Amino acid sequence: MSIFCLGVNHKTAPVEVRERLAFAESSIPTHLEEIRGLQQVEEAVVLSTCNRVEIYGAAEEPAVALEGLISYLVNHFEVTSGEVEFYQKEAEDAAHHLFEVASGLDSMVLGETEIFGQIKKAYATAQTSGATSRRMNKLFQQSFSIGKLVRSSTRIQQGSTSVGSAAVDLAEKIFGQLDGCRVMIIGAGEMSRVTAQSLRSRGASSIIVSNRSFDKAEELADELEGKAVKFDDWGNFLNEVDIVISSTGAPHAVVHKSAVEKALDDRRGHPLFLIDIAVPRDIEDEVNELDNVYLYNIDQLTRIASDGVARRERQIEVCRTVIHQFLEEKGIEALAEIPADRRHDGSPSKPEGSSAEPLPNS
Amino acid sequence: MDDIFLIISTLIFLAGFVLAVASLRAGRQGSVRLNIGLAVAGLIFQSLFLKERGELHGRCPITNGAEVLVFISWSVVILYLALGRAFRLSLLGVFSMPLVFMFQAIAIVSLLSADPGARPPATLDPWLELHAAMSLLAYGAFGLAGIAGVMYLVQDKQLKSHEPGRLFYSLPPIRYLTDAMLRLLTIGTVMLTVGIIAAFFMENLPDALHLTVSGAVWIVYAVILVIHLVKHLAPKQLSISAMIAFGFALLTLSAL
Repeated sequence: MSIFCLGVNHKTAPVEVRERLAFAESSIPTHLEEIRGLQQVEEAVVLSTCNRVEIYGAAEEPAVALEGLISYLVNHFEVTSGEVEFYQKEAEDAAHHLFEVASGLDSMVLGETEIFGQIKKAYATAQTSGATSRRMNKLFQQSFSIGKLVRSSTRIQQGSTSVGSAAVDLAEKIFGQLDGCRVMIIGAGEMSRVTAQSLRSRGASSIIVSNRSFDKAEELADELEGKAVKFDDWGNFLNEVDIVISSTGAPHAVVHKSAVEKALDDRRGHPLFLIDIAVPRDIEDEVNELDNVYLYNIDQLTRIASDGVARRERQIEVCRTVIHQFLEEKGIEALAEIPADRRHDGSPSKPEGSSAEPLPNS
Repeated sequence: MDDIFLIISTLIFLAGFVLAVASLRAGRQGSVRLNIGLAVAGLIFQSLFLKERGELHGRCPITNGAEVLVFISWSVVILYLALGRAFRLSLLGVFSMPLVFMFQAIAIVSLLSADPGARPPATLDPWLELHAAMSLLAYGAFGLAGIAGVMYLVQDKQLKSHEPGRLFYSLPPIRYLTDAMLRLLTIGTVMLTVGIIAAFFMENLPDALHLTVSGAVWIVYAVILVIHLVKHLAPKQLSISAMIAFGFALLTLSAL
């Protein structure tokens, strides 16, 4: 008995293919039952996200199971075998693949944490559907341990990977938790909206929107559950907010050093973070010379994001070493032989080659 | 035996510092548990050293410069363990270790070259013990405030330069550092106030130089806090003040 994995991901298939192969969440239990009805497939877990569709399983002869699984997918999702190139992995390769996926090393945004929750959910669905037994249980439990270990002992999650996340990360390095941080948007553009949403998702509140067209300001303020103010009035709020995002289409500076300097007098030592994502720039460069004021423009944020991506890429080998050391010590539990005296209650209950039969949950 | 405890403690702090720096350089996240574990182990041996010295003298073990340095180090470590996590100040321990190591290394050299030996008091005066202990605990808080000030300046420089370096992601947010600095300065000033008040209840008042120096340190910190209260010192000014004030406090140790 061994384990296998078959799938496509963002590296091997374009979104047009991935979306056709995506499993609807509600239909996964039915698919699991059908997959377990295929020849040789004893256990199965379906992981279907926007960046990957993968099926993990256990079989006496993985090669036979994989062949049946490909036919099943081709028939079920009406794709031709030439249209999709599935990767197929067996035994250690399959386990290593899942461990890297759980650690975020195979994600589009390296080190992202969402995949960890998605794997947990996929495993829980399979377990509830009775599609897992000893091999899959061991494999997925171990992947959770490894995913946690990699994230806690390396810097794979450090460094921003987009302009929005760079702005949020910087805000957190200035203010700590963003709960209660007040944000002002000058210029209701798309980038401002995205950045404000990122800040809001981390707890920022009291969003003030100011725009030359007041209607647009009101529209964005409604969307962000904030308040719109007249463009001529934004200066009056500078002493009340912690973060300013500016992206007007003005051909000259809108936020001057003198205005910020004046606002600082009323800020009682609270820092001010200014994000200038406009081109031409909205905020005078000299503002960054003021104590307790941090100004970042679009180029600086972009550079931080690219550095963050490079930083995470450099961590891949560190993460692989962590996984390797973990496995040196513990081995791949899903591939360990079952002692003869435990086979009666530990091994899968379905006889080889038979069709779907519920497996005991463990 | 007391020297051995001190040497072990010093080596543990050195190991903690080296491990943390090596982790940072290797791009790995240092283990928080390991750092805390090493700090606790170092603290245990520090405490054993102080206990032995206390038994030797029959009083609080702050009878010579070496013991004073160890006592301040002990208070730095204990405050770091008590407050570092509460203030969410990652790396505070790493930044504290060089100071603790330096103080204890000086203490080891001093004790190994010329240990003044037992100095039992003619009579045990609890007010003297309280005065000395509270004053040195205050120095520990001032030391940590100075270290938080250094961390603030490092983080501020990285934020201003727009080029986050290796330490950027490991250092705490500047707002936490500012809050911690203020609290440590307040805690230290309150402790020093208690220490100075205790001095006036002692059987024999300390000499004029001692009182003047203690008073000067108290005034420096009180002035920083009052100015901050009234004018809201910018965090950068507060950091620089905390560092300079601690430098001054250290200089006064020789006179105490």
